[in-house]
Amino acid sequence: MSMHGEVDILLVEDNPDDLELTLHALRREHLANNIFTVRDGEEAVEFLFCNGRFAGRSFDHPPRLVLLDLKLPKLTGLEVLKLIKNDPRTKAVPVVVLTASREERDLVASYNLGANSYIQKPVDFDQFREIVKSTGLYWIVINQHPLANPLSMAATPR
Amino acid sequence: MSSAHRILLVDDNPADANLTCEVLATSERPAQVSTVPDGEQALQFLHRFGQFSEASRPDLVILDLNLPRKDGRAVLAEVKADPELNDLPVVIFTTSHAPRDIARCYELGANSYVSKPGNLGQFFSAVRSIENFWFGYASLPD
Amino acid sequence: MIDIPKNGSSQNRLRVLLIEDSTADAEIEIAELRRAGFDVAADVVDTREQARERLKKIPYDVILADYNLPNFRGMDALDILHENSLTIPLILVTGALNSETAVECVKQGAMDYVFKDHLARLPISVRRALEDVRLRHERARAQEQLANKVEELARSNCDLEQFAYVASHDLQEPLRMVAAYTQLLAERYQGKLDSAADRYISYAVEGATRMQALLEDLLAFSRVGRNGVTPAPTDVNSAIEEVLKNLGLALKQHGVTVTCNPLPTILADRFQVVQLFQNLIGNAIKFRAKRNPCVTISAEQKGREWLFSVFDNGIGIAEEHRDLVFKIFQRLHTRDEYGGNGVGLAICKKIVEHNGGRIWVESELGRGCNFRFTFPAAVADKADKTEDYELCTQNPISR
Repeated sequence: MSMHGEVDILLVEDNPDDLELTLHALRREHLANNIFTVRDGEEAVEFLFCNGRFAGRSFDHPPRLVLLDLKLPKLTGLEVLKLIKNDPRTKAVPVVVLTASREERDLVASYNLGANSYIQKPVDFDQFREIVKSTGLYWIVINQHPLANPLSMAATPR
Repeated sequence: MSSAHRILLVDDNPADANLTCEVLATSERPAQVSTVPDGEQALQFLHRFGQFSEASRPDLVILDLNLPRKDGRAVLAEVKADPELNDLPVVIFTTSHAPRDIARCYELGANSYVSKPGNLGQFFSAVRSIENFWFGYASLPD
Repeated sequence: MIDIPKNGSSQNRLRVLLIEDSTADAEIEIAELRRAGFDVAADVVDTREQARERLKKIPYDVILADYNLPNFRGMDALDILHENSLTIPLILVTGALNSETAVECVKQGAMDYVFKDHLARLPISVRRALEDVRLRHERARAQEQLANKVEELARSNCDLEQFAYVASHDLQEPLRMVAAYTQLLAERYQGKLDSAADRYISYAVEGATRMQALLEDLLAFSRVGRNGVTPAPTDVNSAIEEVLKNLGLALKQHGVTVTCNPLPTILADRFQVVQLFQNLIGNAIKFRAKRNPCVTISAEQKGREWLFSVFDNGIGIAEEHRDLVFKIFQRLHTRDEYGGNGVGLAICKKIVEHNGGRIWVESELGRGCNFRFTFPAAVADKADKTEDYELCTQNPISR
């Protein structure tokens, strides 16, 4: 998938096992055709701010959802979150923190910084898959994202 | 988190509020739903003013947009600008699916935006999904 | 300046300015006109200043000018007319004049020329000149009336559209209540009241849900052209890609093949283009025959337009219904046979016509449909695409 094309979900995850599980769970539910993965905080920021490696991207076509891990190399998830939610160009993008952290302060900090939601990764494989599936379903199907296209919602022939 | 989840439902349409409460009542997780019919009362509830001095802080706010006295967007803006309240998850639940409204709400800091479906079955489904995600999967601030 | 006494009623009143230095000639011309039945009120001048001064004061019906006066060419009166934005017809009444000069004078603005030794023609020429003036005025008045009517219609249309939009939008809310609660009644109380009550409730539910669908469709129809988007160059290929994405599930479900020949870039609102093709392809799926639906889309350039074809292998449309299908809420089948409210094609028609095009269908019952419609080209006959885009963005066509 092209790095400049339309992205439904931006997955920010550096743990390869978690990454694989998440991708697998999302793909199984046919939740998103276009999932793009970045492996560190810096890449995530470049992607969302359309610069560096992703200079060809446009602010007009942000991902519909960002799944953000907190423990990341280069820039932490919280730092990435702060940058995204403090800039009017990127503030509206739905960001769901998906983390192994059990720290209360991470949860509070995330919501304070403007995270749309916060999910704790279960240790159990099946529960992990289940939570990714439900999260995906809620944020892609139920939730309206900022650049909603009315035609794609009700594509019933008349 | 305490035993029952607390939800503040802000909706001026008693018929819709009724439907929403019915669905929430049938959830496997007990929920305590407080309903207020306008934006001003919503803020009074959250600030525990006047008649709401005994109110507890809700775990989730389900907020309609077109409300009398103070409209949903104003409530959202105030909540998200208040350091005491800004970590409160707010789900906009409204009949409007105008892209302009959706964009505006996210700019103001809405956590989620769900359009009220016109069809009864889908309406129930939407409310169930909201309750299911926010109390079944998401972790919320205490 | 010579004043000729005026006589007669105002019925055939003819106010004439004679640019003539010979009193005798003037008298003969006036007599000729009087003999023909005109009630002549004439002024005679022979200098530019007098001519100018008179023309400023009096609304003459016609000017009769000699071609060659000692200090003033009759034709120069045309300049004075022009200076003062007057449109009085000027007839040259002159002695011998070669025909080339005469024709040249008419080209320069004289209405006609009459030779002084053929004055019998003068009244005819004057009558023709007056008729010409009358027709010109009538045409101007008709155009003004037309412009007023058009403005009135536009305003009325705008009002109607607004009404349709507001009505359907505001009606949705209370209707949603009715639909939801009648359905709840049906679910909760089915079998608990008597069978008549069950029946009544089911009719109420049916009515409410049908009205909801109608309103949604009416809203969609009235929204066409209201989003205030300026037409921009739109790549139809990419619009089709979006449509295929939107219809993804249905396409897979029914094994639909969509074949696209190379499609052009047109000047349009992209959202409308997507809507248009989505409705047509959606219909091709809905009204499919007993075979896997196949849709072929192509376009050919015809001058400054593109002629599109959306060809399907569905059930087709009978000849007598070919115009009917584009009418809003017009259906050709019962609700049991096919769902929907008959708005899709009406929306297509509105979109196409809103962009200055035409739409029609070629079809035979059982042999599928070929929907054809035109769209203005983004730019006529240009090789370089980026150049096209820049030109277009500099000259948007606002509607």
